[in-house]
Amino acid sequence: MIGGLFIYNHKGEVLISRVYRDDIGRNAVDAFRVNVIHARQQVRSPVTNIARTSFFHIKRSNIWLAAVTKQNVNAAMVFEFLHKMTDVMAAYFGKVTEENIKNNFVLIYEILDEILDFGYPQNTDTGILKTFITQQGVKSQTKEETSQITSQVTGQIGWRREGIKYRRNELFLDVLESVNLLMSPQGQVLSAHVAGRIVMKSYLSGMPECKFGINDKVLMESKGGKSGQDEGRGGASSTKTSIAIDDCQFHQCVKLSKFETEHSISFIPPDGEFELMRYRTTKDISLPFRIIPLVREVGRQKMEVKIVVKSNFKPSLLAQKVEVRIPTPLNTSGVQVICMKGKAKYKASENAIVWKIKRMGGMKECQLSAEIELLNTNDKRKWTRPPISMNFEVPFAPSGFKVRYLKVFEPKLNYSDHDVIKWVRYIGRSGLYETRC
Amino acid sequence: MPTVKGDGMRGLAVFISDIRNCKSKEAEIKRINKELANIRSKFKGDKTLDGYQKKKYVCKLLFIFLLGHDIDFGHMEAVNLLSSNKYTEKQIGYLFISVLIGANNDLMKLVIQAIRNDLASRNPVHITLALQCVANIGSREMAEGLSVDIPKLLVSGDTIDSVKQSAALTLLRLLRSSPDIIPMGEWTSRIIHLLNDQHMGVVTAAASLIENLVKKNPEEYKGCVSLAVSRLSRIVTSSYTDLQDYTYYFVPAPWLSVKLLRLLQNYPPPEDPAVKTRLTECLETILNKAQEPPKSKKVQHSNAKNAVLFEAINLIIHMDSDPNLLVRACNQLGQFLQHRETNLRYLALESMCLLATSEFSHEAVKKHQETVITALKTERDVSVRQRAVDLLYAMCDRTNAEEIVGEMLEYLESADYSIREEMVLKVAILAEKYAVDYTWYVDVILNLIRIAGDYVSEEVWYRVIQIVINRDDVQGYAAKTVFEALQAPACHENMVKVGGYIMGEFGNLIAGDPRSSPLVQFQLLHSKYHLCSPATRGLLLSTYIKFINLFPEIKHTIQDVLKSDNNMRNSDVELQQRSIEYLQLSSIATADVLATVLEEMPPFPERESSILAKLKKKKPNSVPDGSEQKDQMPKLPTAQMSNSSDSAQPTSINLMSQGSPAASGAASASVDLLGLGTPTQTTAPPVGGGDGFLVDMFDTLTTSSPAPATNGMDLGGLTGGAEEAFKKFICKNNGVLFENDLLQIGVKSEYREDLGRVWVFYGNKTSFQLNAFCVDISTPGDLATSLSVQQKPVGGEVEAGAQVKQQFNMACVQEFTDAPILNIQFMYSGAQQKINLKLPVVLSKYITPAEMDSGNFFGRWKALSNPSQESQQIFKASAPIDIETTKSKLLGFNVSVLDNIDPNPENFVSAGVLHTRNQQVGILVRLEPNKQAQMYRLTVRASRDRVAKILCDLLQSQL
Repeated sequence: MIGGLFIYNHKGEVLISRVYRDDIGRNAVDAFRVNVIHARQQVRSPVTNIARTSFFHIKRSNIWLAAVTKQNVNAAMVFEFLHKMTDVMAAYFGKVTEENIKNNFVLIYEILDEILDFGYPQNTDTGILKTFITQQGVKSQTKEETSQITSQVTGQIGWRREGIKYRRNELFLDVLESVNLLMSPQGQVLSAHVAGRIVMKSYLSGMPECKFGINDKVLMESKGGKSGQDEGRGGASSTKTSIAIDDCQFHQCVKLSKFETEHSISFIPPDGEFELMRYRTTKDISLPFRIIPLVREVGRQKMEVKIVVKSNFKPSLLAQKVEVRIPTPLNTSGVQVICMKGKAKYKASENAIVWKIKRMGGMKECQLSAEIELLNTNDKRKWTRPPISMNFEVPFAPSGFKVRYLKVFEPKLNYSDHDVIKWVRYIGRSGLYETRC
Repeated sequence: MPTVKGDGMRGLAVFISDIRNCKSKEAEIKRINKELANIRSKFKGDKTLDGYQKKKYVCKLLFIFLLGHDIDFGHMEAVNLLSSNKYTEKQIGYLFISVLIGANNDLMKLVIQAIRNDLASRNPVHITLALQCVANIGSREMAEGLSVDIPKLLVSGDTIDSVKQSAALTLLRLLRSSPDIIPMGEWTSRIIHLLNDQHMGVVTAAASLIENLVKKNPEEYKGCVSLAVSRLSRIVTSSYTDLQDYTYYFVPAPWLSVKLLRLLQNYPPPEDPAVKTRLTECLETILNKAQEPPKSKKVQHSNAKNAVLFEAINLIIHMDSDPNLLVRACNQLGQFLQHRETNLRYLALESMCLLATSEFSHEAVKKHQETVITALKTERDVSVRQRAVDLLYAMCDRTNAEEIVGEMLEYLESADYSIREEMVLKVAILAEKYAVDYTWYVDVILNLIRIAGDYVSEEVWYRVIQIVINRDDVQGYAAKTVFEALQAPACHENMVKVGGYIMGEFGNLIAGDPRSSPLVQFQLLHSKYHLCSPATRGLLLSTYIKFINLFPEIKHTIQDVLKSDNNMRNSDVELQQRSIEYLQLSSIATADVLATVLEEMPPFPERESSILAKLKKKKPNSVPDGSEQKDQMPKLPTAQMSNSSDSAQPTSINLMSQGSPAASGAASASVDLLGLGTPTQTTAPPVGGGDGFLVDMFDTLTTSSPAPATNGMDLGGLTGGAEEAFKKFICKNNGVLFENDLLQIGVKSEYREDLGRVWVFYGNKTSFQLNAFCVDISTPGDLATSLSVQQKPVGGEVEAGAQVKQQFNMACVQEFTDAPILNIQFMYSGAQQKINLKLPVVLSKYITPAEMDSGNFFGRWKALSNPSQESQQIFKASAPIDIETTKSKLLGFNVSVLDNIDPNPENFVSAGVLHTRNQQVGILVRLEPNKQAQMYRLTVRASRDRVAKILCDLLQSQL
């Protein structure tokens, strides 16, 4: 059970301090600041134990969020809560910055009162919170509405209120994936996995029941050869029909009992945006890019680097925001870069050459070559050659994930599945996408 | 934008302000990376940088390094800066080198060359910079490279004062890191004369240097004593207005004074009377000044004043020669004892501890006993209380022992846990050391166990048992006391152990009283049995079996207890075995056998007190070592309780070793009960076997050939053959003194300071009874006044083959030459037999060895230069000279053998303290063997006339 929650700015000044339990003393605030924020050595562990008190912290840009407890709590739960907390704050006032926290501190205390009760996490769903934690411009509710809130918050479906009406029933599905890769210089995949999320934005009237179909191997097999391919723009892996999902987790609205028994994902969605599902795959990943590095040390004073980037997806698709980061030795004294496409620059502050390509089509190849001048140093240690990393964004799911269908049933109101306008979008981003050189 | 004045570096200022404005660690790292890349490209660039730019970039690198980042380039540029002529550039170069270049760097050669150039420069600023750098790095390579340049600077006439000052300190730094490297020979006298320098700063720096040099080589720097004394007297006598810059809160040059006083503590008191008088005057002036009203209320004033004062007192204690000064110092410290300032009280107690060990000021210290005891009780700071305990321990002697021990016992109840164990040991030692009356000793130790049982270590209660067993006079009292102590409803386990042991041995002495009848005793002990640990239970079981022997009437009660499942089937193997064996022993053996097996414990051999050893181990500093005469620890009725960890072991060894052969009635076992580690001098008195088998208790030592039988009526003269044996006893304590066909006379003696105890064993070698056996002791001449002799009577008959023991107490009142004479008369087969023997009690027996270092030794040696205090003899060695033999002879003479004191390793140097009732006399011995000529030259010096002569003669007879 969380005993207290503190928010600090980068200097360690306390912005928000909320204590839920008596076992957390006043000095806990200072203990964290002294031992973690101002520690001589950077504290890398997210959990710190100081005088029998555990501090769980996350950092968002320059803001530190720390949850404190004296008990043996579920650490995953605490971190989940902290992340939810930042999501809620972001939903209320945008970016979590010192400025914004200072401007909204009354609101933050209000939220903290609501989402944690005596240290036990409560409903952290933004949509619901917004119904009773209101901001400027939002009127306070009438008597009936207030009573409705009570029944709804305490009721079975706590995430959706009744009586929602839209003229156009619409829903948006975003499949967001991040690809993580570590590749040897020879092109051998050392490790690769995809972490994906499905974010849904629903604007549906009434209390609709949705059914969601994906091309997961298990779900597909249990359904047999029922109905062929659904709509959806084909990625590079269109030939594959099903993928193996290693593990997944759902939003609270998904009826897990049905998932267990019938292998179907059915739910009554909250109104607005929410994360329906998270999953992870490790097999048959189609890697969008491949880097072929060539590093040659010419004597002690000079080094030559040649990098080839190959895109490996349908030529019709276009990758965006491609960025290759080539680390340089610590004793670099000068760099000359030549590249055919995009812009490359030596960034001394980051000890790397950064090569940016705005757009890049599928099945293409780009090349960069650089000459690095080195300064003689007393340091006898050899340069460790950190891996070359890469960032990009591609319009397909590298895991091969597909949405097969999303059906909406609302028996009480007069619209059917066909009347709902559905949008599906696939975005593949790079996570830690590295190639050793 | 930061504003930069004059010569400042704008780029550096901008960079620093950028770093300061960084919002996060990441931003800072980015900024630094950028700057490093910039500097790298600048250093790499082909065009040469001017001095200013180099300085700027080196400075930036230094700043980045100080922020905690690694710097692995720029060293060369920094070294280049050293050759610049501009002060700022040179300074930054040196700064970078001191901070960043390690001693093992490749560039060190270049750096040293640059330093050498600067040292040779005419500009004092450059020299100082270079010296600073040397002092900061102080590597071996530097010491090697610059070992000539720096001393040259120090003594050269043209160097200015501030440079000299730096040079002295730099040299000191190098000396500390590589002491062997600096060849000082030719510079010695010139360095010493720096103490005469006009400039006080130079003198202060030189004083530090010289003190270090003196520690290494005292002889070479001997000349500094007189210079230091005269310098000190000039400072002390000057008023605070004289030494303008070197007066600190109205105290003239306190640091220099303290350093000079410390320097003088490396030497014995000066021999030159003029110097000595001057030094005494100085010390007196310092003591006088302490009495003056303070010139300022500031704490700095009193601190500086007291610093000088305490150092002066330390010097007085070190010299230990002027009673007047010592007493004055003591009085001064007495004032501090009541001072408000806790630190002062602490220091006063600490110094007093040292003073208490000096023979001159011991009495003076004792005057403050009341104050110290109050301090012990009321002081708030535990460390000060601890010092008070130390001081009480140090000031304790026979006169005040009872009171001090009483106070310490009282305080022990409320004492801090951290010092309890130590206090317990100290109380135990004091009680033993100064016990006049052993009942008092027993009371004290039992109290100790009662008050602080948990802190009473094994050694303490072993000791009490040893003493009770070795002294017949306290046995009854001890039994009564422990019986009473055990009646308390809750008593400590240590108490049960002592009680069990003593009652098992001497329970019969109190069994007459119906209140402590055998059954009551047994029940009392057994009521504690179940609360004790297995080790204690084992001890109690041994007590029970002894009860069976002592009180046959309660045999059945005890057998029931032994039989109980609780004991017979105890999970502890030791307990099980004991109960079964004891049960069998009690039921099978006859009363006679039992009595033999369970004979009273024989006296323990005397060794160094184990308690003392423990205290020494625990706190090496708190027990002043032998160099202080007063604190020479007693070598007294002591027995080390074997190295067994099992507390019940003494009993069990006794039983084991005597148990099995006892059945056959043979009582030949010469059992060293405890001396598992010491093979010689076993002294187990015969266990009454009575089958005509005479136990030669001294068989390991018996070397004397049987003396011719003397039925001699030679009344006045000594019995023949005894003189030879007498000589042997000068260097040993136990052995056979006399033997003929009728009688064997053995002697066992032990000495503790001025007290000696001699046991004489008369063994009848005949198969007839010796009748009218009577022994008298006579003290010829002035021996009657010099040696006080107490004699225990010895019975009229000596059975055939039996042995009787007689005890003499010999206290040394003052020095003596002759030995007391033992007149033995008895009737053998109707004829009157008479034997006259010199009892081997000589002056050297009352010596205890003393340890001291060379400085201390020669200090004392020189102090005893009066012809009457010295005795020298040159004589031919009686046996071939052998180092080990001579050494053991000296050790037997009770003086220490000190190594590394005499420049000639062949020579022996020894020291000791002679204890007489009236005073303690320091003894110094120097023995110079000449192997070619087989001659010895023996010199003895003693602080009392005549003593040297007597000892010299005694020792000569041995060599």
